[in-house]
Amino acid sequence: MKLTRTKAFKTFAGPAWTNNPINMQMLGICSALAVTIQMNTALVMTLAMTFVITTASLIVSIMRKIIPGNIRIIVELAVIASLVILTDEFLRAFYFEMSRMLSIFVGLIITNCIIMGRTEGFAMSNPPHLAVMDGLGNAAGYGSVLLSVAFLRELFGSGKIFGYDVIPQSFYDAGYEDMGFMLLAPAAFIIIGLMAWLQKYLAGVEDEA
Amino acid sequence: MSDMAKSIVFAALMCAVLGILLTGAATALQPLQQKNVENDRRKNILLAVDLVSRDQRYTHDEISALYEEKIELFGANQAGEIVPGDRINEEPVLPIYLYIVNDKINAYIVPIDTPGVWGEISGYLAIDADGSTVRGFTITRHSETPGLGGEIERQWFQENFEGKRIVDRQGTFVSVRVARGDVERQVDEEDRPHYVDGISGATLTGHKLTEGIEQILYRYEPVSIRFRDNRADLPGDR
Repeated sequence: MKLTRTKAFKTFAGPAWTNNPINMQMLGICSALAVTIQMNTALVMTLAMTFVITTASLIVSIMRKIIPGNIRIIVELAVIASLVILTDEFLRAFYFEMSRMLSIFVGLIITNCIIMGRTEGFAMSNPPHLAVMDGLGNAAGYGSVLLSVAFLRELFGSGKIFGYDVIPQSFYDAGYEDMGFMLLAPAAFIIIGLMAWLQKYLAGVEDEA
Repeated sequence: MSDMAKSIVFAALMCAVLGILLTGAATALQPLQQKNVENDRRKNILLAVDLVSRDQRYTHDEISALYEEKIELFGANQAGEIVPGDRINEEPVLPIYLYIVNDKINAYIVPIDTPGVWGEISGYLAIDADGSTVRGFTITRHSETPGLGGEIERQWFQENFEGKRIVDRQGTFVSVRVARGDVERQVDEEDRPHYVDGISGATLTGHKLTEGIEQILYRYEPVSIRFRDNRADLPGDR
């Protein structure tokens, strides 16, 4: 059987591309606006989100048969919240400047609807290995959008990539200017809108409307 | 066991496990986090007097070495006299950080802790040894709305304070205030040295900061006056 035909691969690839949480489902927009001014913050946010969603899906999936149905949402939330607090504590201890830059947005991973949605909608009813693939797939889908948006915003907004100058001085001398607008939240909205349009076009999705 | 009882037992167990886990992590990481916070505090004091640059990265050791060499904590009593730093726990003595070069005071740094819109805003305001010109301003901690009041943590806003004057031409204390918008458009020309550009969408944060800085600097006026009259000396028994 080819790798691309396995269920695990499909579970991963679905959310990473055809069912991308940001571009296709329009979830997780809040953090995608806030942390995409620089590649640095977008990358750390992606890693934090990957850790939380994968681990939360794994834990919930392992315990899915013993979690009482009537309190399952609270259990999912408690697991996610604990993982987020752990991530936050870790960043504050080892990457202080970064945690300062991400400010409240690490904490807000708790309310990221992608994670809650995946634990409730997928991990509760699927075995652990698929839940992990689903978590990784969603994280990849989320992260790839975050990093692409951050790439465009940092490149055009401040002429840098990961904090390093990439636009040569001669451009500035010739009259090129950074686009201040790229640093504002509305710019991220426009970029995400364009990306969603592009991806839907490429993936051949047609709206029912 | 009924479903209800099962849920309660499960919830209790889960709380216990997660509680222990989080407490463990928080306790284990606390020393590191505190060190980061202390280092950040020192770095901000150094930033306020321009001893370090915002664009550069520094190791913890570099910061502590520089801090211990250049900065010393003293107290300022109600008469405006500078007293040794170990007396700042006595009530009327205010903490004051001094930037000392060759046994002479180059600038003094006042800690700013004042209510913002959502929580306390903390930072440092450095004033030249002339007692009237702002050397620099930094913010270490705040909980203002990100994107609005939260912009006070931006470099442009903090650098905005440099060179502003806390006294008017007659030598009367006026503090330094946050304007509603651009100083050039909103403030009369003669008042411009006492105003910094405000943040659009953050009028309230600007108000709070203006009020806070004024109250704090007012408390420090006795010592500032001594600086203006060139009478501020280090305590003899240092």
